[in-house]
Amino acid sequence: MNIDESLEKLQDIATRLEQKDIPLDRAIALFEEGLSLAATIKEALEQAKLRMETVVEKTKGTFSLDAFDLS
Amino acid sequence: MYTVSELNRTAKGLLESEFSAVWIRGEVSEFTRAPSGHLYLTLKDDAAEIGCVRFRSHSSALPQVPIAVGAIVLALGRVTLYEPRGRYQFIASVIHPVGAGALQEAFERLKRKLLEEGLFDPSHKKPLPVIPRHIGVITSPTGAAIRDIVSVISRRWPLSRVTLYPSSVQGESAPQELIAAIDAAERFSSTVEPIDVLIVGRGGGSAEDLMAFNEEQVARRIFACPIPTVSAVGHEVDFTILDFVADVRAPTPSAAAELVVPDQAEVLASLSTLAARMTRACTHALAARRLHLQANLRTSLFRIPQQKVQTLDQRLDQLITTVMTRMQAALRTRCDAFSHLSGVLRLSDPERPLQHGFSLTFVPGSTVPVSDASSLAAGDRIETRFARGRTRSLVEEVITE
Repeated sequence: MNIDESLEKLQDIATRLEQKDIPLDRAIALFEEGLSLAATIKEALEQAKLRMETVVEKTKGTFSLDAFDLS
Repeated sequence: MYTVSELNRTAKGLLESEFSAVWIRGEVSEFTRAPSGHLYLTLKDDAAEIGCVRFRSHSSALPQVPIAVGAIVLALGRVTLYEPRGRYQFIASVIHPVGAGALQEAFERLKRKLLEEGLFDPSHKKPLPVIPRHIGVITSPTGAAIRDIVSVISRRWPLSRVTLYPSSVQGESAPQELIAAIDAAERFSSTVEPIDVLIVGRGGGSAEDLMAFNEEQVARRIFACPIPTVSAVGHEVDFTILDFVADVRAPTPSAAAELVVPDQAEVLASLSTLAARMTRACTHALAARRLHLQANLRTSLFRIPQQKVQTLDQRLDQLITTVMTRMQAALRTRCDAFSHLSGVLRLSDPERPLQHGFSLTFVPGSTVPVSDASSLAAGDRIETRFARGRTRSLVEEVITE
């Protein structure tokens, strides 16, 4: 699942938890799932390092990728 | 009698000796930049026209000349004859536009033409992705633009990937290179890995530096690009044709980067808000059930023996403790970062400190625990709740510290 899907799912979980007659067991399960999603997103963001590359087209349709160094 | 070759050769000699260095003035009626870097144009006046070439060897040494159809130019060069075709042409070494107005006029004419053709129509604008995974950038690999873009994206949303399709952004070859870079990005996107959004631009510069972004061929290529595009040409007052034809216009490369990715600080803040909402919802659900059960127990008080009531009350407490513990365990194991939330949760359960030997003091009839000794007076009746059981006492003395 990618980040925007995860965020949307989390939003949905919070909304469902706020419904009045949700069974308690279901609430706890959703709560755990929601926290797990939030933690995944947070961790992904904290560990992310921008990947940069330069693309050069060799002959038609084939590409070579070089790490792109800004320094 | 001449052969065709002899005639052409002789005519060429005559033309070249007679017109070895002349200035001509004319209006550009046709204009092409060949991928080779040569410039082909037709100059005309009211009654006649002549084909002109400016070769790359000349053009590479000079800054890019802002030429567009409709511009009036002065050209210095020689007249020659291309023998294989017997065609007579003007080889320019210098081309100057006449008056700044000519360029502006040509810009307005192109803008109007593309507008009428519908290239700027909002119905053609493609929406940008909410969070792009792969961002293509078309600019110079050595300019400030790519640095700015990379620095903004790595700060705001380092989860994305940035791929640069290098192109020069000024000079004679810039338009062809920009088009080739868009071609490459499009092919890469469809054959290797999808590109979610394409930023095309450069840092600020003079009107002449920005010419490549006003080229009709570049504008048409951007229009035809299936990947959503963001124009990012650094300039303060004017627009370029690219700005009108791109799906979204940003005033600078940095602004374009800010436009395409969300800010991780905002996303993290919304994560905390969502986690807090979930915790609050769960706590409420528990509290509501507790009230409901306690009400039930009270009404049945007269019908079931005292002992059974106590057993039920205890079971209720156990159930609630179990659920609370599970929530806290979930919080702890899932994410330390949300420990402040588990703190909130723990505080929201007033029973919990009692397990550790703390007690709660009430004035009989009140449901709010006493937190300030000065609200009591000697002789007041108070009730103290422990983890198990309660006591009733009389206040002997009030000590305020």
